[in-house]
Amino acid sequence: MAKLKLLGLSLRNFLKGPATVEYPRVPAPVEPDYRGRHYADLRKCTGCSVCAIECPANAIEMVEVPSGYEVPASNRRRVYPLIDYGKCVFCYRCVAVCPFSAYVVSNEYKLAGPEKPDSGPLSLDTLSRVGGG
Amino acid sequence: MAALERLKSLGELLTARSSILPGRAVLEFKPDDVRRLFSGLIEALGPDGFFVSTISATDLPGEGKVRLDYFVVLLPEEETLVFRTYLPRDKPVIQSVSDLVPGALPGECEAYDLLGVVFEGNAQLKRGFLAPEDAVKLDEYPLRKDSRV
Amino acid sequence: MGGRKIVEVPVTLEVPVGPQHPALHEPLLLRVYAEGEEIVRVEVNTGYNHRGIEKLCEKNSFHKNVFIIGRVCGICNTVHTDCYVRALEHLLGIEPCRRALFLRVLAMELERIHSHMLANAVLALNVGFENLFMNIMLDRERVMKAKEVLTGSRVMADYIIVGGVRRGLDDDKRDKIAGLLDALAPRLEYYKRVFEEDETVLKRTIDVGKASRLDAVRHSLLGPVARASGVAVDARASERYDAYGELDFNVVVKSEGDVWARAMVRWDEALEAVRIARQVLEKLPSDGNPVPDERKLPRKFPAGEAYTRVEAPRGELTYYVVSDGKGPNPYRVKIRTPSFNNIVNSPFMFVGYSVADLPAILASLDPCISCMERVTVIDVENGARRSMALRELAGGA
Repeated sequence: MAKLKLLGLSLRNFLKGPATVEYPRVPAPVEPDYRGRHYADLRKCTGCSVCAIECPANAIEMVEVPSGYEVPASNRRRVYPLIDYGKCVFCYRCVAVCPFSAYVVSNEYKLAGPEKPDSGPLSLDTLSRVGGG
Repeated sequence: MAALERLKSLGELLTARSSILPGRAVLEFKPDDVRRLFSGLIEALGPDGFFVSTISATDLPGEGKVRLDYFVVLLPEEETLVFRTYLPRDKPVIQSVSDLVPGALPGECEAYDLLGVVFEGNAQLKRGFLAPEDAVKLDEYPLRKDSRV
Repeated sequence: MGGRKIVEVPVTLEVPVGPQHPALHEPLLLRVYAEGEEIVRVEVNTGYNHRGIEKLCEKNSFHKNVFIIGRVCGICNTVHTDCYVRALEHLLGIEPCRRALFLRVLAMELERIHSHMLANAVLALNVGFENLFMNIMLDRERVMKAKEVLTGSRVMADYIIVGGVRRGLDDDKRDKIAGLLDALAPRLEYYKRVFEEDETVLKRTIDVGKASRLDAVRHSLLGPVARASGVAVDARASERYDAYGELDFNVVVKSEGDVWARAMVRWDEALEAVRIARQVLEKLPSDGNPVPDERKLPRKFPAGEAYTRVEAPRGELTYYVVSDGKGPNPYRVKIRTPSFNNIVNSPFMFVGYSVADLPAILASLDPCISCMERVTVIDVENGARRSMALRELAGGA
């Protein structure tokens, strides 16, 4: 009897169309506070490196801010955290331990692609340029 | 503790008593008494009155010892007792109890493969149970404090 | 019959099952010695997935380890973190607020539901009922969504931290989770009925892979495998950790000890988990902020040892953490996962059954090989990373 019932269920499912969410043709339903792509807002970052030290995956490297960007006075060493999204496990430890709450979070999950992404462009875009350009 | 009362017969084998968090009794015994201890447990509690939950070996290079802990759960209260013994670090040998209590087998194999504790009588001790090939080739016991891995 | 003697020479065929496994999606080699169709002996061969976590934990700080520990196993990551964090809290002597404890229970019970659904779906797949597997996985998506609402991610929760949890739960989220559970409960009852009534499932699982109560205790079998053989062990009931002391639930025990009993124990436990989760959502106390400030967590841990147990979906999971009080790293972290005992001690369960029963029995043990072998070694000198060694472990009957 259960087999017949399951057969009925299968038939109904067949007529309804696939239950699979056909990503990437349709967007996958994601919660707004899903742990997605994050980056540091360099207007608040002071280069203290706590995030880099605490990262369990060693995905954050402190690199120099390239010339041509205006860095806040509190960031004396002119460094910022560069997150390698290939290594990142999205545990958000960096977000939680930052003493200045400098991380911007999002629920962006579409990170797969031909090049390994990192947070450089996003972080640097938070700064204003100097010296024209 | 109520369960401890049933182990009065083993009193002579237990040399010291302490506790670890959260409030679990630690009963020390001498390494040579391990088989008598487990036979005594089987006699006092019955073969289905307890099971060996975990066997943990800790390297204490500072004291020159390897600490071996048998975590035993008594049924039916499900109370955990720790039977603790110390082995000399340069020759950590103790008799196996895996024929008395088959459940001790995986723990003994792991302690051997990762720390080098030899359980005499356990025919199934093999290097490479868990440790990878290169560690085995270098004769390294990965969890020792002076291991090069 | 005259004076003739007939000497039978049994021919045992060694059938290697794995490591690309037909029953699991994880590597494990079972050397099966079979006479015709009947299994006479099984040897379990481990070592394919050893990742070096215990050693790694000694090299990282207590707090970083919380995240490393969570990645021991995907399906049971919340129980691993909960056990480790509770060991740390014992060492520090702190206790989180009740709201945090309730939220932890919620995360763990959601995980129990999805893990049991997965285990039974894999069992259904192994007995040939692929349609049932697909349907169970479809309903399992509701649980994954509930986990996402609660913790921020479908699988890897990263939810529990020393002092509480990492995210709060507001009323909207609570209602969303309650709605998902309400939609899920009737489906779980339906699947339980399928397992009770469907002939194919019954024929392939009843009286297969039996383990008596005595065998289960002597071989230290844990979790649903032990409870299906009549051994009433459940760390939730005995330890009453987190908020289990305030919640009402039953320990599900069956006495048959075969594959069917294990599947039924899992379904009943999944239904109990839904009950517990509903109780948590109703009784959620508001006695404080469940989220501690991660920046202010204590860095120095006093010397001491702690041994915590937790009821993972697969059985009793234990953590033994030793702190020497000298640095930010632990001295020793010992993890003993339930699959370690269940799988390595399992060979006696296969003997006497046919080779075709092997996937069903193995799936009923709910093996989690990544949980089982948590040690890989990274050879610092070469920089090379290897993670396997093939040696035999004979686990004779």
